[in-house]
Amino acid sequence: MSMAKKVILIGHFGVGKSSLVRQFVHQQLSEEYITTIGVKIDKKEIQVNGSTIKLLIWDIAGDDSQQKVPQSYRLGAHGALYVLDLSRPSTYENLNEELIALNELIPNIPISVLASKQDLVPNEQVEKILSELPVSAKPTSAKSGENVEEAFHQLAAQML
Amino acid sequence: MLAQKLNELDGQLNEREQLEERVTPIIEEQQDKLQQNFPVLFGPQITESKRRQIKESQEEVIKVLYPIIGRMIKKYVTSEIELLNERVDQQMDLATSARGWKLRFKSWRRGTPMKDLIKAEMLDPKIELIYIIERDSGMLIASYTVEDTIDKDMLAGMLTAIKAFVEDAFGKEKQELESIDYENYKVILKNFNSFFIAVVTSGGSTISFRNKLDDQLLNFASKVLSKVKHPEEESDQQMIASGLEDYFNDFEHVDG
Repeated sequence: MSMAKKVILIGHFGVGKSSLVRQFVHQQLSEEYITTIGVKIDKKEIQVNGSTIKLLIWDIAGDDSQQKVPQSYRLGAHGALYVLDLSRPSTYENLNEELIALNELIPNIPISVLASKQDLVPNEQVEKILSELPVSAKPTSAKSGENVEEAFHQLAAQML
Repeated sequence: MLAQKLNELDGQLNEREQLEERVTPIIEEQQDKLQQNFPVLFGPQITESKRRQIKESQEEVIKVLYPIIGRMIKKYVTSEIELLNERVDQQMDLATSARGWKLRFKSWRRGTPMKDLIKAEMLDPKIELIYIIERDSGMLIASYTVEDTIDKDMLAGMLTAIKAFVEDAFGKEKQELESIDYENYKVILKNFNSFFIAVVTSGGSTISFRNKLDDQLLNFASKVLSKVKHPEEESDQQMIASGLEDYFNDFEHVDG
């Protein structure tokens, strides 16, 4: 069985969303798209539980970037990866409110929270930050690739 | 005394030099005034008179203007032909592609120069591809293409994003982006309830071609798209794909 799913990557400006996609997908479209219209779309096919899933990944510019991003980019998503930056508290201070807003816009979709730049923060601090977050988050590093593949695969399995 | 005055006056009136000396400044002053006030004093009458003249002697006006307008049109047409030739040369560079070989064979069979065939192809409006895209998600539901080029799913997504971006930036009261022009190509976007159709055409789009295309798209939407219940399911996607084939395979030969 094969199917296509839209996954959105969201989070504050500079948290490393594009780096995660770069790590996960061999990039096909230029990064310029994200600076012109606030989104870049990539595609990767993966196998989950015997099914082929074509992931259309919409890497959406952060609302706090200089880009005005239409809310409609998020519509119709089958799953979302919310990325925060472990080295910048401002990117997760309002995590709960931002997740509630996302859930109101696109209800009933699986949302995974990824805590990026794990390699920049000492281990004890990573654990402390993760334990204080209102939801569970998976520490990732686009540099080492840690947990990147797993994050996409887990989300895909939840979307089935 | 009086006689002397009369003599002086007579001299001023009858002696040209003396008369000129007195009258010239007055005339010059009035001339200046007239020059300044001419548009206000006579503008409406002149405009009306010109309008009447043009109306009454249209052919003469055309004769006068033709060389100027003709030159302008000629310049425009020349530059467009130069552009067309440039594009044809670019296309000729693709001679090693499959399309290039196809054209070469056609040229040999018909005895028509390849350049002329390319020109005819470029001027003739035709459908390059049709995408049926889910409105919110930007997911490609079905497509019809003459030649596969770029990744369809990503193109469908980017078209959706561009459409959303433009509508968000400029749209007031639910206005929707209807077309995008790019060199020899035109992307026509038709919006329906839960889908939009993107049609990429090439060549010079004529009104009759657009009308024919609009009619065919509406036919397709009412006969095929309206039956779609589960666009994510393969059976519905296959129904749309075969509908596209039925409606657009012979589109060039549909009576418009």
